[in-house]
Amino acid sequence: MKILIVEDEQSLRENITTYLNSDGNVCESSADLENAILKLEDYAYDCVLLDLGLPDGEGFKVLNFLKEQMRDEAVLIISAKNSLEDKIKGLNTGADDYLIKPFHLAELKARVEAVFRRKAANGNNNLVFNEITINLQGRTVEINGKPIVLTRKEYDMLLYFIANKGKVISKNAIATHLWGDEMDMNDNFYFLYTHIKNLRKKMLDANCKDYLKSIYGIGYKFLSE
Amino acid sequence: MKLSAHYNRSNIIITVSVLLAGAVIYYFAINYIIQKQLDRDLTEEMEEIVSYVASHHKFPVQPDIDEEQVTIKETSLTNFKTVFFNVPFKKVINDDDDNNGRAVEMLVSVNEKNYLLTIAISRDGTEYLVQVIATITLILMAGLFLVLFLTNRYVSHDLWKPFFYLLQQLKAFSVSDHTNFSYSKTNVDEFNELEAAVLLMSSRVRKDYRTLKQFTENASHEMMTPLSVITSKLDILIQDDSLNPEHYKQLQDIYGATSRLSRLNQSLLLLVKIENNLIDEAELLELQQLVFEKKEQFQELITSKHIIVTATITQKTITASGHLLDILFNNLFSNAIRHNIDSGVINISLTDEKFLIQNTGSLYPLNEEELFERFQKGKKSEGTGLGLALVKSICNVYNWDVSYSFISSLHTFQISFAPGKE
Repeated sequence: MKILIVEDEQSLRENITTYLNSDGNVCESSADLENAILKLEDYAYDCVLLDLGLPDGEGFKVLNFLKEQMRDEAVLIISAKNSLEDKIKGLNTGADDYLIKPFHLAELKARVEAVFRRKAANGNNNLVFNEITINLQGRTVEINGKPIVLTRKEYDMLLYFIANKGKVISKNAIATHLWGDEMDMNDNFYFLYTHIKNLRKKMLDANCKDYLKSIYGIGYKFLSE
Repeated sequence: MKLSAHYNRSNIIITVSVLLAGAVIYYFAINYIIQKQLDRDLTEEMEEIVSYVASHHKFPVQPDIDEEQVTIKETSLTNFKTVFFNVPFKKVINDDDDNNGRAVEMLVSVNEKNYLLTIAISRDGTEYLVQVIATITLILMAGLFLVLFLTNRYVSHDLWKPFFYLLQQLKAFSVSDHTNFSYSKTNVDEFNELEAAVLLMSSRVRKDYRTLKQFTENASHEMMTPLSVITSKLDILIQDDSLNPEHYKQLQDIYGATSRLSRLNQSLLLLVKIENNLIDEAELLELQQLVFEKKEQFQELITSKHIIVTATITQKTITASGHLLDILFNNLFSNAIRHNIDSGVINISLTDEKFLIQNTGSLYPLNEEELFERFQKGKKSEGTGLGLALVKSICNVYNWDVSYSFISSLHTFQISFAPGKE
């Protein structure tokens, strides 16, 4: 996947690049609007990560540019503005998703893959990872060709893990993904543990390799091999 | 009291006192002038008599007119200064009607004998003059009262029309809408000035409001960016294989603190937004649907704590912001679960008048006064301390009444949708 990161905060830009630069992804970045449009004029990308508050203007200009040129880049807005107006405006101008800062990089990666999949889905809605096959449309999972029944949360979690395979994901990131930001879940890692335990058991029961590794005290890792 | 009444009152007080003072001064002035005139008449009379006496060496025969009465008395005085004085004046001798008069007394010597001569005249005519003046003053005063009353009643009502028009617009003024003030096209300078000032003020207020909105968003942006840098740095850092469990523990604490800080920041900004009425989107919501969805959303947490939920929900539609109601119910539900005991109970009830959520928990009632204040939280609470403050603010936006009570060992939060109607 070729990704363009438009973000003015240097360290954040670097971290996103570092995190997304795996799985054969290629990241390029731009710190301002002008540079971003120059890059988009010359190259095609699969996905654009777009910060709205840029030093030389609002990120909406990039969206308008893409719309005028009838480009099919998937756009994910990353904004510090938790404003409904901006969200609606962004989504109406052609953005595919809206992520509010601060976010976990694991969340960002999962969202990027999701919007990319949605754009690139050519009738093929299956996500295959080794022996695991996920039907994204029907939200069903097969392991070694045999269907397993997952709850909604377990399904979401599996998708999240596969998007971030090979990375250590913090418990906070998973909890935020499952329950959202507004639920105060600091003391509820216990629930997370239960969900993960159940998911792992269901996968192991279907003769799946044990991909889920617990990383002491901090979170989990879904092995990429 | 109305301004016109105030104005009239002072007007009347001033006019009446000026008129009264004028009348008094007028009275004395006229009195003085008349007295001078009378004295002059008396002097003339006196001189006539003196000249008559000088040529005839006897007093003239008293003319039979009752306008002046002359008395002559023999006296032993040899030296007497001529005096003028007021005397009672009787038209006819032994008349009961006591009139005022003016008299002069002087010494006249006829044939080596001294006589005291007194001439008195009536003041009747002058009294009449004073009466006329008093009557005119009274009529003037009455006329003035009448004019002021009519002015107040009819003229000033029309005069104040632009003012009341402006007042009406001011009452309907809201910073968030953009309807401008309309002019009433008056030719009163003061009202034009007032309208201009109000227009200036309203545009300034709206500008401040926009600035505040801008500030809220900027503050959010400025704080969220460093927070997202911290979060992403942590996300990268934990990928390092060389970290040991002790490091992980430290990192987990930083994660916890960071997410708490970001939640705190979000809540604070939301609180500011709500209290400044920056959220004014509204839609028609099926409340029973919303409550049901919340119950589903929290189902796992409820199940894992073995909490039994009983819900009596009737249909209720409401016009409000979906976003705000989501926050409201999130806070109430997560509180009811978080502060609950294992195998506890939650009762939910929704009727047309109110929403009620009850939960088991601590055996002692909470302090209702402090409960809805900012940063008030239980000792064991991991929350931001803003949850119930948010609930309260959201209820205030829609004029709902939120209250806490401790009923048969159940912590009860109640939202009345139409307070005061019960």
